[in-house]
Amino acid sequence: MSSEFGQFQDAFFEEAGEHLAIVEEGLLQLEQHPEDLDLLNKIFRSAHSIKGTSGMFGFNAVAQFTHKMETLLDLLRNGQKVVTPAIADLLLKSTDCLKILIEAAKQNSSVDDPTVQELTEELAAASSAENIQSGPSKSGHTAEPLSATTQEFTIQWTPPGWLFQRGLDPVQIIKELNQIGVLADVSVDVSKLPDLNEVDPERCYLSWSMRLGTNADRDDVESVFEFVKEDSTLTIEEVRGKELGVRSEGTSGADKASSALYPSPLTPDGSDNEPKPLGEILVESGVVSRQTLDNALSQQKRVGQILVDQKAATPQQVEQALQKQRQMEAVAQAKKTDNTSIRVDTAKIDKLINLVGELVITQSMLSDLGSRFEMTQLHVLLERMAQLERNTREIQERVMSIRMLPIGTAFSRFPRLVRDLSSKAGKKIQLVLSGEETELDKTVIESIGDPLTHLVRNSADHGLETPDERLDDNKPEMGTIRLNAFHEGGSICITVEDDGRGLNRDRILAKAVKQGLVAEGEKLSDDQIWPLIFKPGFSTAEKITDVSGRGVGMDVVKRNIEALGGTVSIKTVMGKGTTFTLKLPLTLAIIEGMTVRVGRETYIVPLLSILESIQPKPQSVKTVVGKGELINVRGTYLPMVRLYEVFTLEPEHTEPTKGILLILETEGERVAVMVDEILGQQQVVIKSMEQNFRKVEGIAGATILGDGTVGFILDVRGLLEIARQESAVVAA
Amino acid sequence: MSKTALVVDDSPTMRQMVTFTLTSAGFTVVEAENGKDAVNKISGVPKMDLVVTDLNMPEMDGIALIKELRKLATFKFTPILMLTTESAVETKLEGKEAGATGWIVKPFNPEVLMKVIAKVLPS
Repeated sequence: MSSEFGQFQDAFFEEAGEHLAIVEEGLLQLEQHPEDLDLLNKIFRSAHSIKGTSGMFGFNAVAQFTHKMETLLDLLRNGQKVVTPAIADLLLKSTDCLKILIEAAKQNSSVDDPTVQELTEELAAASSAENIQSGPSKSGHTAEPLSATTQEFTIQWTPPGWLFQRGLDPVQIIKELNQIGVLADVSVDVSKLPDLNEVDPERCYLSWSMRLGTNADRDDVESVFEFVKEDSTLTIEEVRGKELGVRSEGTSGADKASSALYPSPLTPDGSDNEPKPLGEILVESGVVSRQTLDNALSQQKRVGQILVDQKAATPQQVEQALQKQRQMEAVAQAKKTDNTSIRVDTAKIDKLINLVGELVITQSMLSDLGSRFEMTQLHVLLERMAQLERNTREIQERVMSIRMLPIGTAFSRFPRLVRDLSSKAGKKIQLVLSGEETELDKTVIESIGDPLTHLVRNSADHGLETPDERLDDNKPEMGTIRLNAFHEGGSICITVEDDGRGLNRDRILAKAVKQGLVAEGEKLSDDQIWPLIFKPGFSTAEKITDVSGRGVGMDVVKRNIEALGGTVSIKTVMGKGTTFTLKLPLTLAIIEGMTVRVGRETYIVPLLSILESIQPKPQSVKTVVGKGELINVRGTYLPMVRLYEVFTLEPEHTEPTKGILLILETEGERVAVMVDEILGQQQVVIKSMEQNFRKVEGIAGATILGDGTVGFILDVRGLLEIARQESAVVAA
Repeated sequence: MSKTALVVDDSPTMRQMVTFTLTSAGFTVVEAENGKDAVNKISGVPKMDLVVTDLNMPEMDGIALIKELRKLATFKFTPILMLTTESAVETKLEGKEAGATGWIVKPFNPEVLMKVIAKVLPS
């Protein structure tokens, strides 16, 4: 194919992905509003775009399949067909199939899934045979005659009067004729030209006659007139060939000529040259039928099996090798599908460029000031420094916002998922999405897709009841799952809410006791019970369904979310429903931090985890056997950690009453951390400790401070662990 | 002075490819993502040498754009090529009635594109 266009392939795949999403979303909406013409047009446009562009890259399978879809969509939008559930279903299935085809095109492989053929036929059947235009012509370029004899044509041409109004220039056409051959006796007939005062300068009154000697054949000559011939009076007569010229008026051979001029890349020229499997050739030449071939292939033994049969390898060895192969395939797959490009709204970039401009101005003002600085200008310096700081901060915000995408992209898969789940589980479910425009970091968006899918599946399968059960409970027959996203402080919250049966406290407890997670007879609060469902292998579903209930999932959800620095919490009311709330940081790279001092060291505490800071009274500090040091904060006892003890530093104060206690919270647990002084608040860029050094308990990462020294960021969870261990030591 | 072209297509990939071909051939290209965008972008532009437009687009489609352009004194005689996948006769007729100079059937390669342009544009 046209290799020059190869560089745009990535852009195509990205665009195709967006179009697929539009098609899918559109089709789902179409089920509710089958009459919506705008919607149909939108879907059609996307399918049309995929077809047109995929053809440009020679992805014939994609282009041909999309063409079939498009044909049906065209009938729908023209009102020649009505959207029935069957058609919607067929189109949705076809969209899935198209995804596979595009993915295959991306991997440069072909798809031999029989469903492609099946769906192609179904689509063709759904679009009635009549009045459907055929696909892009497959006829190639007419081959030049082997005996290239020079031919001569006489041409008489009277162009339409409005020739100029379509931006056509007769001279251009005559010039083109001159390029494919030699023109002679070109004469202009001016007899139709009216008197000068009656001439419409925008009309063409002229006609031409000429002789053309050329090696090209008749089609080539005709194609010169391609854009005008239907409207012209055109006679092309072959002189030397003694063949009578055909008057070319109206529609004569126009399409044929145009398709002959543009050899369609759909002509299978690349794929056909590749060697085919023997079986394929036998089927094509009619020696065996497709079925016979399939039968024969199914009897064919795998290499591994043959080796085992010959005792050349043990089944274990073969299994190991297969495992390795699968891993390699998975890695290869991951590499290919890992998409690292990002599309950014040009407005965002324009703003950024503006800001950089301002930064440059500020910088030049500062260097100007620096070159002839006097102490009297100190206030000017400070002012400019403030300006610099403002510029830098804004640029930082803008750059961060480039990585921000609306979460809608992660939500878009759910309407389809819920539709499929509801039909599979025999439940009526409606999905309500809100807050799709909420923006968050691209990496975070990419990583929350799977956890969210698990939660939605869980709600659809376990959370919601069957229609009968719901009616018995005086609930509407249709269950609702709500997905919502919103900003809260420096984090983003995503909730998955259902109005189903709620979590069953007794059943969870019984299961936990059975699995040995909880001692029998132990009293647990609700807040202690709900998180049990996140334990590995925990599922209370009575029967395992196709959808969920294998006990995998919920623990993975929790692990994935925590890996992103987020938390999962559950709210549930028996009989009313369950809400899962995911709380995630907006971005992974920058946090808002509080700088604190212990001795001569500076540490950063994530601002989000600080509840308050207090200076305790002597009587509120207690040491309790088995619990370590505790601090009484308005009646609640919290474990206390002395930071100088954890990191063995020389502190300024050893008395909690002289220093400052920061009350930190993570995952609902609180701890008091003693430091010498609070220095201030600033944004810090997290540098990983593990990647550059190694994991250090109680430290989440490092950052460069304003004075150039390294500051450590405290890991609140780690500190909590340390507090627990200490109390255990004290107890021992 | 290099020739100027207006490229109108709602598919960024398609735009990129046409623009790439045209800029390689020495054109200065103005891109627009639909008819409305195109009309906005050319307002105040003195004259352009060529227009290449898709037909199926949101906001304002190719046919409407061609009609608009032909109303403008600056674009009255400018060659306008429509990008079309439909080999259907009606589309071409509709385009011609609106004032399109010619058409390019998708899929095409750079050579074909330049060949068609050479048909309508004095070199």
